[in-house]
Amino acid sequence: MFAGPIQDLIDELSRLPGIGPKSAQRVAIHLLKSPPVEAHRLARTIAEAKDKVILCRVCFNFSDAEVCNYCSDPRRDRSLICVVQEAPDIVAIERTREYRGLYHVLQGAVHPLEGVRVEDLRISELIDRIDGSPALDGSGAGAVTEVIIATNPNVEGEATAMELVRLVAPLPVRVTRLASGLPIGGDLEFADEVTLGRALEGRRHLGG
Amino acid sequence: MRVNELVLEDFRNYADEQVRLAPGLNLVIGRNAQGKTNLLEAIHCLSGLGSPRADNAALVRHGRGAALVHADVTRVHRSLHIDLEIKPGRGTRALVNKTAVPRTSALTDVIVTVFFGPDELSLVKGSPDGRRRFLDELVVKLRPARDALRRDLERVLRQRNALLKSLRAADPSGVHAELEVWDRSLCRSGAAVAAARLEALRDLSPHASKRYEEVAGGGSLTLSYVSSWLPEELAGSISDGTAEIDASSLEEHLAARIERLRRAEVERGATLVGPQRDDVSVRLSSQGTMLDARAFASQGDQRTSALALKLAEHDLLSESLQDEPILLLDDVFSELDPMRRAWLADAVRDVGQTILTSAEPLALETLRAEKILEVREGRIDVSG
Ligand SMILES: [Zn+2]
Repeated sequence: MFAGPIQDLIDELSRLPGIGPKSAQRVAIHLLKSPPVEAHRLARTIAEAKDKVILCRVCFNFSDAEVCNYCSDPRRDRSLICVVQEAPDIVAIERTREYRGLYHVLQGAVHPLEGVRVEDLRISELIDRIDGSPALDGSGAGAVTEVIIATNPNVEGEATAMELVRLVAPLPVRVTRLASGLPIGGDLEFADEVTLGRALEGRRHLGG
Repeated sequence: MRVNELVLEDFRNYADEQVRLAPGLNLVIGRNAQGKTNLLEAIHCLSGLGSPRADNAALVRHGRGAALVHADVTRVHRSLHIDLEIKPGRGTRALVNKTAVPRTSALTDVIVTVFFGPDELSLVKGSPDGRRRFLDELVVKLRPARDALRRDLERVLRQRNALLKSLRAADPSGVHAELEVWDRSLCRSGAAVAAARLEALRDLSPHASKRYEEVAGGGSLTLSYVSSWLPEELAGSISDGTAEIDASSLEEHLAARIERLRRAEVERGATLVGPQRDDVSVRLSSQGTMLDARAFASQGDQRTSALALKLAEHDLLSESLQDEPILLLDDVFSELDPMRRAWLADAVRDVGQTILTSAEPLALETLRAEKILEVREGRIDVSG
């Protein structure tokens, strides 16, 4: 075991997801051997990202402005909202180039074992978004007509989808779910473009 | 299907050992605790279902970080190479022809085994847990993709139990809309698991009664699915093939039962109904009377029915996969009387590759082994 600042660095790094003690030690040694400018640049980038990146006020995607790129893009179809668990799922869906609507990031899925309950997700914000949508410009032109549920095709994702259907069904919108064909038990983030594209095209109608 | 060559590195008491196996009957002899069962266990691991008797940590040789199993196998005229790396706490990594498979259960597509050891002799006598595992593994051997069904059900149960516990702590008498979502998840995945089990049991039944009749000479054996939520008549007509298996009707039956138990479940903070509590009953008839084998049969009859079930599993898999699974018999002869020994010796003749261990000298001429291997302190020698 190292002592002092070296061990502190290893301890900090090994707290990151997916980094065990061995990789933490490898990264720490690499940083210490590299020119000072590199380590300082990394430290600055982390601090800047942490200071500047916030959650979009509308959809809860990561953003460096109050409203993210998707929500502020006038070319996107405002009648569609695709609901995902985490921000990287948006990246996966964008790669398919099949979808031109808006997004809503729940910031997770129901997971009673980890204490994540339905009220911990950004569902009430989604309902406010749907409810409030026509009033935004007064014309009703921006009204949301369809909510596409794109939670992960696993036990927690399916339960979250059921919660969404239950809570969104009373509103005057169509509720659809990505078609099956996605690998069971998987994460949306890791589905390939073709499969995900097909799932978007063949989405099932669930209510509304 | 068969294992042609097997290499074990740091697996149990084998440091580095290589063995070639015959396509037919292989007899493994040696005193106790020399490594005979470990050899069968390694072959069982090749089928993707782990060890039949221990967790992964026990498979690694003392003081080593990982156990390795390499094998050249044949499946329907195709030669394949399997590499397994078993690391305690890290799970098992598998390669087929040097390509990683997504999860080890995918190996069931390549190798299927039927294992019978002293523990399996109490399959009929023992707890429901063993019979559920027997049936669930049969489901996966028949249709490897169905492995996901049981994994999903286990996950739904863990989530639902966690929710029930927190509801009990917070507000035991309230209205729990959140629970409904997990009720539906439980119904959906519970019905899927039950449907798969019912199908496997229905297809196993005729083979089991045939095998039992061979040895019991006249009596008959009946299998049925026992469940607190599935009406007995429905389960009965599914097993005799007069009713179709309809997952949505199973879902409704399970939902109705959950509805009735809702309050008790919140009070207890646990799921009280579902396929995780179901069982298989084995009934034997002789001279016109039917008895539950678990409660009423003699130990000899219980063992005979357990053997009949495992041989029936082999028959069903041979028929369904159109290729004979590898039969692993661990020290079962010593536990049987001469009459049942003769029957088993006869049954394992011409059933594809069989690996049979024994600590005592057997009547070798009745078995007609193609190859005899002798195991001594983690070394394997060909002795015939
Ligand atoms: Zn946004």
